[in-house]
Amino acid sequence: MVIAPCANGRVHPETDELVAFGRRLQALRAGAIGVCIVGGDVNVAAREIAQRHSVPVTAIQAAGFSHYLSEPYVAVLTEEIEAVKPAFVCAPHTSQGWEWAPAVAARIGAGCICGVDGITECQGRLCFQKELYGGKVKGLFSVSTTTTVISVMPGIFTIKPAPPPCPPGPVTYKEAAWRPAQTRYVGTRQAGVDASDITAAPIIVAVGNGIGSPENIALANRLARRLPKAAVAGTRVVCDRGWLGYDRQVGISGASVAPALYIACGISGASQHVMGMRGARFVIAINTDPRAPIFNEADICIVEDIIRFIPLIEEACGRLAEGTKEAIDVR
Amino acid sequence: MKILVCVKQVPDVERIVVRDAADGMAALDISNEFRMNRFDEFAVEAAVRIKESMAGASIHVITVGPGRAADVLKRPLGMGADQGIHLKTPTDADPGPAAVAAFIAGYARSRGYRLILCGSMSEDGLNGQVGPMAAAYLDLPYATQVIAIQPAPDPSELSIEREIEGGAREMLAIRLPALLTLQPGINRPRYPSLSRLLRAHRQGVETIPTETLRPAEAWVERLGLMAPPRMRASQVLTGSAREKADRLAAILKEKAFI
Ligand SMILES: Cc1cc2nc3c(=O)[nH]c(=O)nc-3n(C[C@H](O)[C@H](O)[C@H](O)COP(=O)(O)OP(=O)(O)OC[C@H]3O[C@@H](n4cnc5c(N)ncnc54)[C@H](O)[C@@H]3O)c2cc1C
Repeated sequence: MVIAPCANGRVHPETDELVAFGRRLQALRAGAIGVCIVGGDVNVAAREIAQRHSVPVTAIQAAGFSHYLSEPYVAVLTEEIEAVKPAFVCAPHTSQGWEWAPAVAARIGAGCICGVDGITECQGRLCFQKELYGGKVKGLFSVSTTTTVISVMPGIFTIKPAPPPCPPGPVTYKEAAWRPAQTRYVGTRQAGVDASDITAAPIIVAVGNGIGSPENIALANRLARRLPKAAVAGTRVVCDRGWLGYDRQVGISGASVAPALYIACGISGASQHVMGMRGARFVIAINTDPRAPIFNEADICIVEDIIRFIPLIEEACGRLAEGTKEAIDVR
Repeated sequence: MKILVCVKQVPDVERIVVRDAADGMAALDISNEFRMNRFDEFAVEAAVRIKESMAGASIHVITVGPGRAADVLKRPLGMGADQGIHLKTPTDADPGPAAVAAFIAGYARSRGYRLILCGSMSEDGLNGQVGPMAAAYLDLPYATQVIAIQPAPDPSELSIEREIEGGAREMLAIRLPALLTLQPGINRPRYPSLSRLLRAHRQGVETIPTETLRPAEAWVERLGLMAPPRMRASQVLTGSAREKADRLAAILKEKAFI
């Protein structure tokens, strides 16, 4: 059972990825896919999903629903899942799915795996793959309960919707009461930061916790000045410490960037960061730990201490520039 | 107000060595250096700030783990927590989020905590499950990825903000007792004070064997580990630091970046 993200009235793009994940599961373990969508006004969205993916959809219209809230969402889903008893419940690994999935699992006594980015067969058992230890390794997990709740990493599973001649899946309409007894939604505030400095930059020098101190940010600034139109960005850790402003944060809770060149200095490569820089065309990573996960995301890997190495890059660029100048002079 | 803060002892992730093992699998060499999960420092700090702003507030800090895990309680006690509780597991094996949540819920039930705080996830398991699961077991309202906590006009509520995609924030009012998991960056965790650390050392912690709590459910089993796949070329430059820098400059030139 795929739980489509709740986005009042609209079909959320993550729904496609969750259906794709469901299809992958289906290829390994025969079974039917169904989508469930909960919200205040979901009937149109439900029909759209049924059409697009040719799957049965359950639309749970919740009277009084104004916005996603963990408490009533968990209550409505728990009831539906207990009635349907699916083998797998697939949630998006987002601020919504990651919040409700473990609670639903605890309520129904289901095994739960969060942040799944792969499915394999392992020792004859179905295994779900997810990152461990800051992304340094992947763990393969198997679950023994009748129902397994999974939150699926965004951006991994893709699918082409069923071509038009496919018949739309049937839509079942249900109603549920929305009872947010202890929590109240007050409103949403958009991020107040303008990240255009880094989203527009063709070259990004990005610093992580490995930079060690706010004074060392100057090293990154100097390197950035040597490179044409380069901007300095950082990981959440660096921004949380106040070493860089939040308008310079790259990652799921910051900006997504796609520069021609991304130089990751002292960044471990946590998935929350990497998701914001996957679009970079060329990636250079510098880290003292040869097994830092950022190296898997890099074209060029350099195992060095950035404090010593960044000045060496500048010198080397300088030598190269001088070499070129001399060559021109000779001519 | 009684506050319970959940903390986890984790190995130093940077020191972990991933080795190739048989059948394309991987193995880990975990050093013997453990520390407090960095994400939990924000939960401890948030509790201490509430205590400082509210007369009569007290902070209990709880951890689930083997014998060595008791050490992880020192830092929060040094930061300002009042009492440490160690739910001691019989072996070194991590019982997994469902069991940890059940143990914590088993302890917290009927002890009158108004607020339970957790970090957003642990650096080793990256699950972020203990908070929501403990809330479910305790039937408490909860919110994850909380980036701001303010007193509400109604003293039985808190005004909170959850961080959602792209840094936007959902504003909520949540009735106490409640459980919150906190986003990194909600505050700047303080350093523990020496005098508090010394006092914590004398005071000791309350130790409860997990066997006396609700039994652990082993639903999710780890069958193996794998090295993460390479998403790009991952060409490693070799030689002296200066040689690497020269090679890098040449690459930058070749690619017309300089
Ligand atoms: C819900 C949620 C959202 C998040 N959103 C984001 C986000 O948008 N962006 C983001 O970045 N993070 C985000 N995070 C945090 C993320 O999980 C990581 O904690 C963070 O990215 C780690 O930052 P880092 O790489 O700077 O630090 P660390 O993980 O501490 O890594 C530092 C690295 O530097 C290396 N190093 C140390 N010293 C040196 C040296 N002298 N020279 C070279 N290398 C050195 C180390 O080997 C290590 O690999 C989020 C977390 C959560 C829970």
